[in-house]
Amino acid sequence: MREKMPYEEDQLKILFTPEQIEEKISELGKIISDHYAGRELIMIGVLRGSTYFLIDLTRKMHIPFAIDFISISHYSEQADSTGVVRITKDLDLNITGKDVLIVEGIVDTGLSLGYLLRNLKTRNPASLKVCTLLNVEARRIVDVPVEYKGFDIANIFVVGYGLDYNERYRNLQFIAEFNRPK
Amino acid sequence: MGIITISREFGSGGENIARFVAEKTGFLLVNKDTIARGLTQYGIEKPLPDPENQIGKEQDSHFEQQYIEAIHDFIYDLAIRNNLVILGRGGSILFRDYPPALHVRIIAQFTRRVQRVMKAYNLASETAVKLVKEQDRDKSRYYRQIFDVNWNNLRLYDLLLSTDKMEFEDAADLVINAYRIHAEPREVKDGPGVGEIEERAVIPPADAEADQFMHPSEEEFAHMLDFYRIRWQYEPRTFFLEWDSEGNVVEAFSPDFYLPDQDLFIELTTQKPRQAWKKNRKIRRMKELYPHINVRLIDKRGFESLLKKHSIDQDEKEGEES
Repeated sequence: MREKMPYEEDQLKILFTPEQIEEKISELGKIISDHYAGRELIMIGVLRGSTYFLIDLTRKMHIPFAIDFISISHYSEQADSTGVVRITKDLDLNITGKDVLIVEGIVDTGLSLGYLLRNLKTRNPASLKVCTLLNVEARRIVDVPVEYKGFDIANIFVVGYGLDYNERYRNLQFIAEFNRPK
Repeated sequence: MGIITISREFGSGGENIARFVAEKTGFLLVNKDTIARGLTQYGIEKPLPDPENQIGKEQDSHFEQQYIEAIHDFIYDLAIRNNLVILGRGGSILFRDYPPALHVRIIAQFTRRVQRVMKAYNLASETAVKLVKEQDRDKSRYYRQIFDVNWNNLRLYDLLLSTDKMEFEDAADLVINAYRIHAEPREVKDGPGVGEIEERAVIPPADAEADQFMHPSEEEFAHMLDFYRIRWQYEPRTFFLEWDSEGNVVEAFSPDFYLPDQDLFIELTTQKPRQAWKKNRKIRRMKELYPHINVRLIDKRGFESLLKKHSIDQDEKEGEES
């Protein structure tokens, strides 16, 4: 049987080149470092879309920080439509009294991020903010505060640099608009 | 679109009260002059058919019809962009079917009104009596002729205020407070201020609701909101969008979902963009009429991206079929 989603160039339209991404992340790294200087920063990567971004972002930081990861179930991944969102991989660090920065690859509907914010807030961090590489305001359902963002994009489907389509394309070094196969 | 209509007996101080209300609320005051000026845009130069001479004449009914249409168009057009205090001119009839509007009638005893008119216009008592009677008769006739209603039918009004013993500014404050109590809770009645526990108690579980959904996509969306523990209500409110010349609602819109915690209405459309224009138009109209209400349209593309897995399944199925 033929592979369903091959790397066909004509399905991808490059939005941001590796150079543009690196430049943006350098800016963000500097801004965040400045804002959190002298504080106890914990950066929390939301699995799995943010991994590449989180790692590159931390390499542009010039202040000390801790890294942790969290993962939640997604509506689109459940077998039937009766479940509720839950944490599938919780933090290892205690964030109470710490300055917490949630790092996302993309924020679109705000539904899962909204849940994360509500959940983490109950652990009483000193502060709780959000950094995302990509922001899709047009798809927002729940308003979520996004403190730091890399790029605002239109209501399109994107892959690359950690973002997938059926687990594919995460390792692209650029970010591209993806047209689903017809 | 906030609307306060004020109808008044001549000499009751209704005009002063309307001005106070407009000043204190920042609403735009619409009176006879504003309307006469506005109507010239609609080709109506005559202030009004003179009822004494024209009643019962044939050309009259045509002019009246034209006049009614123009006054509707003009006031509704103003109302889309402004909050209004409408003084006279049948405002309570024009917005009879717009529930957030407050219709006020200002009255005072005849002798009290005559005294005020004598003072204001520096008239002898006989002249003042004549003027008050004449003015009231004209108002009554206007209502009869244009709207075919009895001006003195107090059921046309939500609030009746007598200025016999009341300062105009106090009356204005009462009107403003009445308006706030009347209109504002209506606008946010499902929003903040509703106790969380009661709210939970009245929302049936999504499954029990399933039969009432109009479309499978709405059901799916509700499941997704449940999944992320977002509280929702299904079509809890209807917004009036269009009225006919008699003030009857001819177009209304009930967004599919209301999310009380976000104070947000959501309308789903899984139609192709070409077919979705009607819905888009309704949403635009709603945003014009109710600018303080948050409403969001989730279109086909947005909806598919919400349900990535499902649309992938579909894509694959379609792929296999072709």
